[in-house]
Amino acid sequence: MDSISYYLQTVLNGILAGCIYALFAMGLTLIYGVLNFVNFAHGELIMWGAYFLFLFMGEPFGLPLYAAIFPALALTGCLGLAMDYSVFRPIRRANRLTLLIAAMGLSVFLRNAAQFFWGAEVRTYGLEVTAGMRFFGLYITAPQMAIIAVTLLCVAAVYLLFFKSRLGKSMRALSDNLDLARISGIDTKRAILAAWVISAVLAAVGGILLALDTNLSPEMGVINLIKAFAATLIGGVGNLWGALLGGMLIGLAENLGVLFISPGYKDAVAFVIMVIILLARPYVIIGERSD
Amino acid sequence: MDLLLHLAIVIAIYAIFALSLNVEVGYTGLFNFGHVAFFAIGAYTSALLTLAGAPFSLGLLAGLAAAGLCGYLLSIPALKLQGDYFGIATLGFGEILRMIVNNEVWLTKGPMGLPGIPRPDLFGVVFDTLPAYLALSGVFALVTFAILAFVVLSPFGRALKAVRDDETAAEILGKNAFRFKIKSFVIGSVFAGLAGVLWAHYTTFIGPGDFTLTETILVLLIVVMGGKGTFLGPVVGAVALIFFQESVRFLRLPPEWTRLLGPLQQMVFGLLLVVLMVFRPEGIIREKGGRRGD
Repeated sequence: MDSISYYLQTVLNGILAGCIYALFAMGLTLIYGVLNFVNFAHGELIMWGAYFLFLFMGEPFGLPLYAAIFPALALTGCLGLAMDYSVFRPIRRANRLTLLIAAMGLSVFLRNAAQFFWGAEVRTYGLEVTAGMRFFGLYITAPQMAIIAVTLLCVAAVYLLFFKSRLGKSMRALSDNLDLARISGIDTKRAILAAWVISAVLAAVGGILLALDTNLSPEMGVINLIKAFAATLIGGVGNLWGALLGGMLIGLAENLGVLFISPGYKDAVAFVIMVIILLARPYVIIGERSD
Repeated sequence: MDLLLHLAIVIAIYAIFALSLNVEVGYTGLFNFGHVAFFAIGAYTSALLTLAGAPFSLGLLAGLAAAGLCGYLLSIPALKLQGDYFGIATLGFGEILRMIVNNEVWLTKGPMGLPGIPRPDLFGVVFDTLPAYLALSGVFALVTFAILAFVVLSPFGRALKAVRDDETAAEILGKNAFRFKIKSFVIGSVFAGLAGVLWAHYTTFIGPGDFTLTETILVLLIVVMGGKGTFLGPVVGAVALIFFQESVRFLRLPPEWTRLLGPLQQMVFGLLLVVLMVFRPEGIIREKGGRRGD
């Protein structure tokens, strides 16, 4: 491969990774916007989404990929709701440290529950590996094309939901000011539940795409949580389109960074970007809300 | 008997580790989720120096200095973040430090780890038996307790609490909240480094697998369960949880169970954190003057 197409291939790989990070970051930033806290267990929704698909594709279900996706997404949505119902709702008005430690505990619980059931080893869905197709000298595999198509689909759905529906409007009102939304007669309970489902489903979609392209392990949540967080920080916290952009930037930076640094440090790139942003913008105003 | 001595040593080391985190989480309200990084920095610094032939005293001092310096360097960008964001930044730092340990094979031997770390000798005494090591770590634990109690009771400690409870009010009273947080973070890092040094010379082998998020969670649970922002909380937590963890390790279970035991134990720890936060966020010992639910 000549050097120009090598660089283009790297950019393409960056965009593919960026799509997935964008899906993670949008879910994370959504919950932050509505509930004003960072869901440390978001990484576990990513991981469980991927494992739910693994569950339905394996024995005793043995469903094909396209059929197994639906129950996997539905279950991850339920997991998001269960998290809120059992942990976060009882301590909604508690102070931040309490919320944060509870989220951390939940994350530990869910990560190890996956390891308990499926073991710590790295797995794949066992699909046939197909040769990549060639476009203008660039290679792209079927799962990678799915990444681009599904991300576009998700972004379109999120746009329609948030800016064209009543439910989306109420969620935006909520993230602007909870109390004001409540006294304006907005059904805040319903909006919060919807936010959890959307956040969890976006996490599961991203997790499944990532696992299709690479593999799945119980540890996949934590590292992607950090990347999603870096992406939300780039785009401005609570800002959906910012998260999309931030995710893309992180994906590109990671893949282009490997041209200069050892691949062993690929996962560190997001963190370094985060530190640079913090140093350059000394006081990041977090979560501008009026309540 | 050896088992009891082993338990007591591990409890002493984790008490130091937990006391150091308590300065940050309990007294200053900093959500440090990468505390294990400073434990690792202390452990690796001292292990590398003593393996190269340096005396233990030098390794110890260098371990504390390295942990403190890294704490200072991290705190400058990270403390510009508030609350949960600081939490993720420190979580990221912990993961990156482990990446460095895994990748810089020339220095750390990577995943192979460092075997044969010498037992400490101080003032001509070699601490190579369990009772001797218990005496050493016990003395260090008491010194840590005394120093941190002194720090917390001093006007400096009251300023930390003021920053924790109401940053704006503390700033209005002329306290530079950012500087107080940095100092608190550095103090916490130095003592985490001390715990790491003691750990490295006790186990005589360290590798990247010893310094995972799991350790941070354990020490966080120790502080939170014992009672954050109290003197005795971290000690009580360390006794209870280390006793639980180490005794499970010595149960004679069939090998196919032990594979499940690790994750199961972590599930219990995670669940404990959640249950504590929902039903008793203040832990076993409640901070005096602390409001309920804080």
